[in-house]
Amino acid sequence: MRILTALSLALGGLVLGQQAQAAEDFLAGIPRNQVLIAENPEGTVTDPSNFNLWVPKPNGTSTGLQQLCMDTLWYIDPDQGLNGKVWDNSLAADKPQYNKDFNEMTVKLRPGIMWSDGVEFTADDVVYTVQTLMADPGGFNDGARMAANVDTVSAPDKDTVVFKLKKPNSRFHAAFTVRWSATWIMPKHVFEKQEKPSKYNFNPPVCLGSYKLKSFDPNGAWFIWQRRDDWQKTTLARFGEPGPNYVAYIDPGPPDKRVILQQNHQLDIIHDTSPEGAFALIKSSPTSHGWFKGFPYAHPDPTLPMVVLNDQLEKFKNPDVRWALALLIDMKAVDMASYRGAATISAIDVPPTGTYPHYYFEPMEQWLKDFTIDTGKRTIHPYDPNMGKEIADMLRPSMGAAIPKDPQAIAAAFGRGWWKQDPQAAAELLEKAGLKEIGGKWMLPDGTPFTITISTEGDNRPVMTRAGSIIAQQWTQAGIDSKIDALPTAMWSNMFNGQNEATMAWTVETWGGHPDLSFFLDSWHSQFLSDPGKFQPPRNWQRWKDPELDKIIEQIRAIDFDDPKGIELGQDFVKLAVKNMPNIPLMSYNVFTIMDSTYWTGYPSAETDPYTDPVPNWGNTKYMMVKLKPAGAQ
Amino acid sequence: MLRILKDLFRYNREFSLGAILILLVVAISLASFLSPYPSGMQYVVPFDAPPSWDHPFGTNSRGQDVFWQLTFAIRNSLLFGTAVALLSRLIAIVVGLTSGYVGGMVDSVLMSINDTFVVFPPFPILVLVYFIFKDHMSWALLAVAMACLGWAYDARLIRSMALSLRTREFTTQSLFSGMSTGQILAEEHLPYVLPIVFATTMNNINWSIGLEVTLSVIGFTNIDTPTIGTMIYWANQHTALVAGVWWWIAFPVGLVIITFVGLYLLSVSMNEYIDPRSRLSGMGGAA
Amino acid sequence: MAAYALYVLRRSGQFVLVVFVGINIAFFVTHATPIDPITAAIAAATRFSQADPQAVQLTREALRELYGLQGNLWQQYVVFWMRVARADFGPSLSAFPTPVSTLIWRALPWTFGLLSVATLISWGLGNLLGGLAGYYRRNVPLKLVGVVASGLQPIPNYVMAFIVLVLFGYVWPILPITGSSQINLPQGWTLAYFQSVFQHALLPVLSLVLVGTGAWFIGMRALVSNIVTEDYVAYAELGGVDRWRILISYVMRNALLTQVTGLALSLGLIFNGAVITEVVFGYPGLGNLLIRAVYAGDYSLVIGIASTSIIAVAFAALVIDLVLPLLDPRVRVA
Repeated sequence: MRILTALSLALGGLVLGQQAQAAEDFLAGIPRNQVLIAENPEGTVTDPSNFNLWVPKPNGTSTGLQQLCMDTLWYIDPDQGLNGKVWDNSLAADKPQYNKDFNEMTVKLRPGIMWSDGVEFTADDVVYTVQTLMADPGGFNDGARMAANVDTVSAPDKDTVVFKLKKPNSRFHAAFTVRWSATWIMPKHVFEKQEKPSKYNFNPPVCLGSYKLKSFDPNGAWFIWQRRDDWQKTTLARFGEPGPNYVAYIDPGPPDKRVILQQNHQLDIIHDTSPEGAFALIKSSPTSHGWFKGFPYAHPDPTLPMVVLNDQLEKFKNPDVRWALALLIDMKAVDMASYRGAATISAIDVPPTGTYPHYYFEPMEQWLKDFTIDTGKRTIHPYDPNMGKEIADMLRPSMGAAIPKDPQAIAAAFGRGWWKQDPQAAAELLEKAGLKEIGGKWMLPDGTPFTITISTEGDNRPVMTRAGSIIAQQWTQAGIDSKIDALPTAMWSNMFNGQNEATMAWTVETWGGHPDLSFFLDSWHSQFLSDPGKFQPPRNWQRWKDPELDKIIEQIRAIDFDDPKGIELGQDFVKLAVKNMPNIPLMSYNVFTIMDSTYWTGYPSAETDPYTDPVPNWGNTKYMMVKLKPAGAQ
Repeated sequence: MLRILKDLFRYNREFSLGAILILLVVAISLASFLSPYPSGMQYVVPFDAPPSWDHPFGTNSRGQDVFWQLTFAIRNSLLFGTAVALLSRLIAIVVGLTSGYVGGMVDSVLMSINDTFVVFPPFPILVLVYFIFKDHMSWALLAVAMACLGWAYDARLIRSMALSLRTREFTTQSLFSGMSTGQILAEEHLPYVLPIVFATTMNNINWSIGLEVTLSVIGFTNIDTPTIGTMIYWANQHTALVAGVWWWIAFPVGLVIITFVGLYLLSVSMNEYIDPRSRLSGMGGAA
Repeated sequence: MAAYALYVLRRSGQFVLVVFVGINIAFFVTHATPIDPITAAIAAATRFSQADPQAVQLTREALRELYGLQGNLWQQYVVFWMRVARADFGPSLSAFPTPVSTLIWRALPWTFGLLSVATLISWGLGNLLGGLAGYYRRNVPLKLVGVVASGLQPIPNYVMAFIVLVLFGYVWPILPITGSSQINLPQGWTLAYFQSVFQHALLPVLSLVLVGTGAWFIGMRALVSNIVTEDYVAYAELGGVDRWRILISYVMRNALLTQVTGLALSLGLIFNGAVITEVVFGYPGLGNLLIRAVYAGDYSLVIGIASTSIIAVAFAALVIDLVLPLLDPRVRVA
């Protein structure tokens, strides 16, 4: 009998639930049209009550904390920036001033900025931050970096900070320049009271940004931020009043659930979902749209997914072998398999996004067309400049009007050219490298079969697993037995530790808006290269070493960040990489950030106003808040 | 033997229905040998075509024919489930009966081992097994690992039955009539525990396929081997349900349900057959 | 009575042994993994931002010291047991320096609630219907129930959870599909909070019950149909004892004994289903925590969760074993 009672209770609850769900809003106590709900791609945060984001931890930073609460000296936009300005002086009043030896950096600060607890922000906060980080290089993420670079830091007056560097570094300001993230400024008056700042949980956080913490889930599934009453005392106020009174960052669950939630208008910004899910959502929900109005909808992040080959392994040491592997790839099939056609392809080692088409892709197109390789038997032109257009043509019958027709628009959305699949040339290159084909299988010069395991990050990046899976199939069909190994994130260490053969990952990430390549390239210098099988710090995971590469990097180090010669050197790097093929670049990291305009309008978009990257875990998305306006007058 | 089957078929509707379902499933898995496409190949047919004459179960977003994929998947899943079940049943029966009947020190020692296995949460252990073996994680290894984790619960169940059986009169009689421990266990006790063994076999196949699905869904198995689990894994990677490609999930799930209903019906009817009295009443009911 | 006391003593000793062996295995299996939590932490910290290679090397050394991973396996083992003796699993590596026990205590009530409610419902329902189906073997509705229950039972928890989610969150969106309570609702002893928790638990519980009932149903049905053929039942039937009384007192009571044992022992298995169900519904329990710990390579957290579940299940089995002889006099304690 008790069971029947329980059953009827459950059924009663179901009905009750129906009424309650219809009557209540998604968030308790906050009208839906006052809150922007965005996905936090970290999912559920393991220890939500710890807001100290200066310490190493796998999650708890893109909960709105770095986007809305933090601030630092400068921001570089991955797209075109508010009012078309890529560079923004945020807490700083001006660009960094280096002396001519690049061993001293002076920063002027913006006056009149307040912490959310009413204390004024001054140069002392910056000095305190740097000194605190330096003092505990293990406890803080950026501690070791500060300790390695900074000799002394001082504040001659309350609006000026002077960094004396241990050695010349023309890119030291990058540490305080947000591209996704950077070193954030700590409130001195809060942290100085702590015995051990790296153990302090910083709860509630004291913010420099225009928002402050309202509430958070003790289980880590959501964080809600409230616009500060004194938002005019924050750096964002230069651009106007932030639209949403509240911003919630939530864990919506797996990709399908994100789609369901947005269809129910309970999630304004999806961080990422599968291409198929995004297409279905845009088709079924008229208020949902992506960065591009039509195909590929997704936002191309200034990140370049690629096949990272471990160049220190005997089998990948020869550039001819690496080139052969590239020529065995059918890029159209990879595009279809991974992104369902919604990739923005790149043949070179910079992402085809932000301002990079202008700085790199357009000027280098002719060089790529003229580029030849010697297969040992003949000379071929491997570049196919029409690949992007062909992909667009291939998709047009099924996607119709969503596919642009204008060549410029096609290049922006689908990319330009890639390497033409050429099994014949690949076979010639392999033979040139001393490999032999026996019974349809390639044998390495030492007589063992040529096999490749491609590691992919299974749980986290389905699109990359899909790309790896089709590339493995293409290589296998050509006689190189390949398989994928989908690893959970924690197993990713094999790439760092040199155990990997090939990995679907990226070693190239750029500012996006600014042409300087030092963001990733500096770490490719051979001074940082580890021995085979030893831990390799970011980001030269292809473990490529070339004296010419070192020369380019050293030249970049010697010039100013904004020196136009940087672009020339960047192009030299691209050419060197094309010749050596240290990794096989594929496409930009296209993020299916889908925005719902039911409650908010003014999201950035490729066609109308590409003022910033809408991908919600980027620190740069704070600029989005001032552009967002309530939809209609509900 | 044939006559028994014929009897069962004639008088027991559950058996005949179950047999038909299982034959169907086995036929589908055998069809994998006729597949026009190798199991691992992608982009051999158009994407996302709904079920049609050319592709009776449709095609998926990886350019594979769902029907032919399913033939490989159900074959591998069935083999996997059966292997795990057989291995773990063997351990469970031996441990359970011995422990329950012999008692004393033997019981204590066996049950200590048993309880250690029972309390292991299998999921984290299997994930860790995968972590250790990673590249070398094969189908057989996973089956053995699961069998090692999957017997203890049923051994406990069998032991508790054996405990009761030991105190029954017929056990004492058998003992007085000079039967050895092995004989008593095999001839007197085994028939009593067989129904529960059959029931648990079904549970165990279910458990192992379910666990395989769980591990696969999170990508902790070799996702290149088609199984029911890896089919769902790939469907999820393409968010098949919200993308409207329902046939990619519906057919594997439907087939696995048919498999289990079939096995269940077989087990129920066999239970009845093992026990002569209920067989008579069953035949009476059918006549 | 003395015999029973001895039994309790022996059984408790066994419990200690089980927990000891179990936690040991968890420790060594976990430490045999090739996962390097330090690399995992660095990978997470340097994922999107700029990283200075020199600084990363320094951080690495510092982390090794900080995480207490220096020393050989034996030294780590000794430290581990000294901590466990104080019910402390050390700091979590992925949420450093928060103690593992804090994280577990935060998640445990949710898993306990979800598991116990879902298990009690499916156990009760499965046994009731299974018992009836075993006794009234020719009853058509009960046969249908059998087909449905055993048809649902093989559906993997993941798929069932997802189907339920799609049905009630998408096709007919009446119930919340994520989290444990409404966003921005303060935790507390308020009616609104409880109502919200109840609502959010409905779908996870429903999917666990739909899958979980079948096994009990099948087991009970098999047991009862076995017992029904026993002589004492036949005598009772011939003697004209009321059929309900036969079912309840003669048949079900005996079969339930096995099913009670089964209940205690299957908690470890049900935990499995709960893990994936929690993941699908974003439920903040141990399962979700475990998956995150595994992804993050946080093996102190993995050991903590594994040990906690080992202790909990072993304790449940102990309680059942101690109570069982009191219920069924035929099971002698000697």
